[in-house]
Amino acid sequence: MTASNEYRFQVNLSGMIQILSNHLYSSPKVFLRELMQNATDAITARTEAEPGYQGEVRVELTGTGEQLTMMVEDNGIGLTEADIHEFLAMIGQSSKRGQQAMLDGESSFIGRFGIGLLSCFMVSHEIVMLTQSAKGGPSMEWRGKPDGTYTIRQLDTQLSPGTKVYLRCTPDAAHYFEPDYVKEALFYYGALLPYPVTLHHDGAQHVVNSETPIWLMDPALARSRRSEVLAFGERLLGEQFQDFIPLTTASGRTGGIAFVLPHAVNLNAKRSHRVYLKRMLISEKAENILPEWAFFVKCLIWTDELQPTASREHFYENEKLEEVRSELGDALRKGLADMAESQTERLQKLIRLHALSMKALAVQDQAFYAMIHRWLPFESTRGHRELGELIDEGETLYFTSSVDEYRQIHHVASAQSMLVINGGYIYDSELMATLPMTVHNVRTERLQPDQVSMSFTDVPPAERNQYYDALRLADSALQRFRCRAEVKGFKPSDLPVLFTLSQESSTLRALEKASEESTELFSSVLGSLSSGMSSAGYSTLYLNVSNPIIQRVLTSPDDQMTPIAIEMLYVNALMMGHYAMSKQELEVLNQGIVRFIDWGLRANTDRKGDA
Amino acid sequence: MKTEMDFEELMDEAYGLPNGPAKLGMLEEAARVADVNGMEEEAYEARSEIVETATFCGYPMKALIAFSWQLGKFDQQPEEYDEETLMWSYKWILGKMPDFPEISREKILELLEDFGRRFKSYGYSERSYWYYRFRIFMDFGELEEAGRSYDRFRTMDRDFMSDCEACEQDEIMRYFLLKGDDEKVLEAAQPILKGRMSCAEIPHLTLSEILMPLYRLGRTAEADKHQTKGYRLIKGQNDFVQSFAEQMDYLTRTNPAKGIDVLEETLVFAADHEDPYAKMLFYARAASLLRRWVEESPEYRLRLPASFPYEGDPGDLLKLADYFAEYAQTAAAKFDQRNGNHHVSSLIE
Repeated sequence: MTASNEYRFQVNLSGMIQILSNHLYSSPKVFLRELMQNATDAITARTEAEPGYQGEVRVELTGTGEQLTMMVEDNGIGLTEADIHEFLAMIGQSSKRGQQAMLDGESSFIGRFGIGLLSCFMVSHEIVMLTQSAKGGPSMEWRGKPDGTYTIRQLDTQLSPGTKVYLRCTPDAAHYFEPDYVKEALFYYGALLPYPVTLHHDGAQHVVNSETPIWLMDPALARSRRSEVLAFGERLLGEQFQDFIPLTTASGRTGGIAFVLPHAVNLNAKRSHRVYLKRMLISEKAENILPEWAFFVKCLIWTDELQPTASREHFYENEKLEEVRSELGDALRKGLADMAESQTERLQKLIRLHALSMKALAVQDQAFYAMIHRWLPFESTRGHRELGELIDEGETLYFTSSVDEYRQIHHVASAQSMLVINGGYIYDSELMATLPMTVHNVRTERLQPDQVSMSFTDVPPAERNQYYDALRLADSALQRFRCRAEVKGFKPSDLPVLFTLSQESSTLRALEKASEESTELFSSVLGSLSSGMSSAGYSTLYLNVSNPIIQRVLTSPDDQMTPIAIEMLYVNALMMGHYAMSKQELEVLNQGIVRFIDWGLRANTDRKGDA
Repeated sequence: MKTEMDFEELMDEAYGLPNGPAKLGMLEEAARVADVNGMEEEAYEARSEIVETATFCGYPMKALIAFSWQLGKFDQQPEEYDEETLMWSYKWILGKMPDFPEISREKILELLEDFGRRFKSYGYSERSYWYYRFRIFMDFGELEEAGRSYDRFRTMDRDFMSDCEACEQDEIMRYFLLKGDDEKVLEAAQPILKGRMSCAEIPHLTLSEILMPLYRLGRTAEADKHQTKGYRLIKGQNDFVQSFAEQMDYLTRTNPAKGIDVLEETLVFAADHEDPYAKMLFYARAASLLRRWVEESPEYRLRLPASFPYEGDPGDLLKLADYFAEYAQTAAAKFDQRNGNHHVSSLIE
């Protein structure tokens, strides 16, 4: 084939514009951001050529109804005719530094001039741009329509260097042109810009962005200007914050303020950090700029080292971003560490509000855990307490691994005055398990329900002998449930029995229950698994000799009555412990009740007969 | 927090949590409440969530138990429940079966056929069947048979029930890894490493899998980069016990001090893991790492998690290494017996 067989894609521009404006950008309101970015880029370019040059952006609203027009003007570098062809005639041609710079991700410019301008078609059917290049040449006018056609002509008069963009609003977009809205939006996007942005309307002039706060370039200074920083955060982020942590990276090219959210947040809450690139708002919902665990803060971040994605709303996941993210994470962690050292009350307050975030982070990061562990809250047999207080008791900290286990044993455990922590809530058992590795001289121990019996009183052999017959009856009654009976004395004495099972027997119970319901094939697979488990799969029913009823059951065993009483105590214990019962156990419960009623009635009739 | 919540509250609470033992506990509690109150549909719903959560946070046995229950209910009343979700879960369950040595080879192949038959009956592509056959025979260490299934599955059409491309690619890599063809492993890893394929678990798994191939090819600078990145992605998640093992394997050779950090940070996940295969690998790699570390720092006392059942002195690293090694060898012997070859024990030699 020869070179003449080469063709070019015939791109339907109006279709492209549709796609860009409807699918690339999150909302029509971003047109203002795109215009501001273009203006900022133009000023940056001019400043690079003329150091010390003072840029400014003027926005003007004129007319009403169908004549309502917005003009955005900058005194930046402006475009020559050749520039116009390069940026506007060829969409995708982006940076004034040429393509390579764009690919390298290093460019002084935020926007992609041509594409950015297209976003204006979301709010206007015509874009008119007047421009004069600072490099000289004639002033130019460019008029573009959403169908992709445009005209370029030279103006007779010579404008001062810079660019003006005129938009006439479409009826749907009228609210984007209301003065109050425009003013807020300009502040929103441009609050950090290093030159004045003014809005002109009805003969009045408003300066949108006041002086750049000095802590902006040096976040460390923010500490001494607390109220100023909090007020700034409230205006920009719309929430009343009470605390913040300044952030900086080593290079100093990224910094920010992490405002501590004044309310608790869900772990899965969307992160919505606001990020300024070259001091121009680029994203209000940057999710990937801070580590996952940082969901207790809302940040203002400014950077000049990251590369935005095509929609300008996120950053490319590249090594640079990873580095920045981890440095910002470190800064946040360091802020917390400083608090732990010198302002424990402040940290305590923060942890109370964001305990879950703090725990999530502590699980991942031992050093952090060591730093803040004293203030983390836990539920224990001594009540809801901070870990520091529990540690100060100087006892072994027992913990359960589920709420269920905790519920089974906490009455008994507190009656035995054991210190047990409910490890069933998120992260708690992991934190307990790793505590001894993190903090010296603390002992923690995972408590299985069958271990509470450690603190039970043994029944002396002579006495146990007395119960021999009753126990044999009990064991044989419970055998089919893989359970055995044991006699112990324990508090509280009004508790007749305690049913406990190890993790393995708990798994076995679950296997059997599922097996009852499943298909033949799966039942046999479950069967293979349960046969692989050892005899540790037995659960235990502790009979409390301190309980009067149990005393009676044990001391006058009856071949008929005792097994049924034991079975009933067993199923009752299952119910009290909220265990799901197997078909067999439910049957025991039903038959037992009927039998007891029967016995009760018969005893009653017998007594009447005696009388 | 209240100690007694109703079904909806429990489910809401669970949905708000990230995957992990806490979420799983909440869901099990919800299933229990539903069971006790005879709420069958709710019990089914809770179990769907259990299967997914348990599969991705180190509790394959819990997943299997919940799935078995679901499948039984489904077969009784197929019109009541959604078959797509259930069949999707079936893939996870099937994929984990070979990790339990108690389940015989025949049973696993029976499950595979049951799976294939069900997929066929719903008109899904046979690709899933052949792909899982490929995986299962890799698990058995029967690489020729796995290779035949590999050739088959790759020619078949994907459909919405197929595993994602990234996951498939990762299994293809594993095939070359088992065949000992490191060059091919890296070739197969390319689309993942370049970021062209990814999902919730990829490249997480991949970045640890390629460490040893890179090491054997002498490309440690590259491997170091992947190690750091890979560890960052999986840190603190008990779904990745096998990856922790792979990390340790590499670090034993290149940076045992860092390996010890990994061991101390992740042992708590491995010790409590329900997947005997992943746990075996972890223990085997931990043993080698400790033996290597003794040469470097004989005085070191390994920090063991509170729940760890080792009774001996954590300062005697060689004894501790023996403990790990013995556990791994015992487990490997069970796998070998099931598979009828020495495939698994050869992996931990």
